[in-house]
Amino acid sequence: MIKISNIQKNYGDLKALDNLSIEIKKGSIFGLLGVNGAGKSTLLSILNGLTSIDGGEIEVFGFDMKKDKKKIKEISSIVPQNLAFYEKLSVKENLDFFANIQNATKENYQRAIEINDLSKILNQEAGTLSGGQKRRLNIAIGILNNPQIIYFDEPTVGIDPKSRNEILDSIKSYKDLGITVIYTSHYMNEIEKICDEVAIISNGKLVEQDSLENLLSNRASDKIYVEIIYDSNFDYSDFNLLDSSTIETTKSELAKLLHELDANNIDIKQIKYGASNLEKHFLEATKVQNV
Amino acid sequence: MFRAMVKKEFLLVFRDLHALMALFVMPAIFILIMSVAMRDIFSQDSVHFDVAIVDLDKSAISKKLTTVIDNDKSFTIVSVEEAEFVMEMPKGYGNEESSKNQKIEIEVAGSLKSDAIELFKVKLLKHIVDLKLDIITERLSEFSDEAASAVGSVSLSSKDLFSISYNEGEDVPNSTQQSVPTWIVFGMFFMIIPMSTIYINERKQNTLARLNSMNVSIFSMTLSKIVPYLFIAQIQVWIMIAVGMFVVPLFNTPALEINGSVVALTLLSFSLSISAIGLSTLIAVSANSSEQATTIGGISNILLGSIGGVMVPKFIMPESMQQLADISPMSWGLDGFLDIFLKGGDTLMVLNESLMLLLFGIIALGISMLILHARIEKGL
Repeated sequence: MIKISNIQKNYGDLKALDNLSIEIKKGSIFGLLGVNGAGKSTLLSILNGLTSIDGGEIEVFGFDMKKDKKKIKEISSIVPQNLAFYEKLSVKENLDFFANIQNATKENYQRAIEINDLSKILNQEAGTLSGGQKRRLNIAIGILNNPQIIYFDEPTVGIDPKSRNEILDSIKSYKDLGITVIYTSHYMNEIEKICDEVAIISNGKLVEQDSLENLLSNRASDKIYVEIIYDSNFDYSDFNLLDSSTIETTKSELAKLLHELDANNIDIKQIKYGASNLEKHFLEATKVQNV
Repeated sequence: MFRAMVKKEFLLVFRDLHALMALFVMPAIFILIMSVAMRDIFSQDSVHFDVAIVDLDKSAISKKLTTVIDNDKSFTIVSVEEAEFVMEMPKGYGNEESSKNQKIEIEVAGSLKSDAIELFKVKLLKHIVDLKLDIITERLSEFSDEAASAVGSVSLSSKDLFSISYNEGEDVPNSTQQSVPTWIVFGMFFMIIPMSTIYINERKQNTLARLNSMNVSIFSMTLSKIVPYLFIAQIQVWIMIAVGMFVVPLFNTPALEINGSVVALTLLSFSLSISAIGLSTLIAVSANSSEQATTIGGISNILLGSIGGVMVPKFIMPESMQQLADISPMSWGLDGFLDIFLKGGDTLMVLNESLMLLLFGIIALGISMLILHARIEKGL
């Protein structure tokens, strides 16, 4: 288990993390949600031993972050959002270099190539790869040391849907290998697709942590989401506008809303009934936090 | 692990052709151009005039004067169109019976400075006086051998009249001795270009943070960069020396001679490399982009070079500027190389400069590691 207890991190007057506590189960795929500046990257830096904390405690699989940082780094790996490899080196030269650094076994080296489908492009210069291939190389480097924990920091930014699905499938397969995955993304549907448990953080604080199933089922209510084509001339103050295109309402209020929209010539794209998706839940949770 | 880090660094540097051009080709070309261009300025004995002689007299004396001038290495006889000085010896110039000798008419190119004209007059006057003395001696011999012998023994050669020696503390280099160390020093500090490009890419792409998360210490990261650049810098020094020794002489310019100890040269170039690597690393880890690093690096190189005697040789600077030059590591390196090339310096003679360069480099590297640590800590 990864146990984060009341950690604090300040950059001058800014509280990047404010008494944050999270528990992550071993072998799970854990989603970390938050808007830009919420503290996700700071938390990943801390968990990887790159940034120190100003208060609180972190325990990773029984190791104390302050005392056993080196050991924690050995069992962890991070796949940064940036393509953290050398574009002037070939795919093989990059893999050889990072494998050497971490004393990776031949078996792990081969597995990283196979899982990420890199065997045909080993001699290609990394800078000339497609966006998806670069992302796969970035991930392959992250699993060379056969880590027990992998941190993915928005690993699918800027790639096509096909490559994204391939990457998500490969990440899901790590769970079968017993690897604990901590995953951050701006794409809520990715979190819905692969994560077992989710924590939502905002302004450095934990807003909510629960299993994905619970988070979604708790919202199974009489709520209805009306997606509209936004018209800036219309006064939305009587309605619960979640974002620029979605109004949340209830069954009893729906008729009134539709009447108002029709009277003001606001076009409706679709109406969703029942449980919210994660994105709506995330928007609600962070909205409450920010009020 | 360390070997892999060093290998990676070598691969990255040797795949950066622009950087290699800046490190090897630029200083080599500068050495060649500056050695040839400044050959006459730095020369202590080569006063040179292009002169055309128009002999309207055709007498024995005018012909003798022409021969004497032709034999003097300070003069080159050229056509009237090419000449800086056109000497016209009028008819009757060599007429010894005439009570009033005709004067030589000299036409001077308008671009010539007055000190060059004065020097020309002195050189020409010496030949004319020698010639006149010969005539007087010949005349006297008709009346008295003793008197003729006395006059004939008078030497007007500067070698016989005075001697010049150079003060040991103020040796003046020739153009090659000045150019080679100057551009070795200046060129070496240009390693900021490849170093900053690689460093900043690694930092921006979080590769350094990734390496740090793999238990690679900041000390190891820094050390792994020192080794390849140290190697490159040594190659750079010896290539520039080779250019000075073997290429520059092909252009009728003095070759570089290593009068001092090779051990001293190796020690000095090692220390200079550490200094250049230290400053380059400091700029690379402090800058936010490679454009910023190359701009700051370029400006600091030019400033250190101008203060340190790269742009203008220290020995022609005023005393106050020479003292200011001592704050520049480029000046320490330059002084050390001149000690070796010019004064036959040994290890002891360059020890002071070498230690200062080493200290400068180590301090710069230490500060760089602190900055890098702070940047990784802040996720920058």
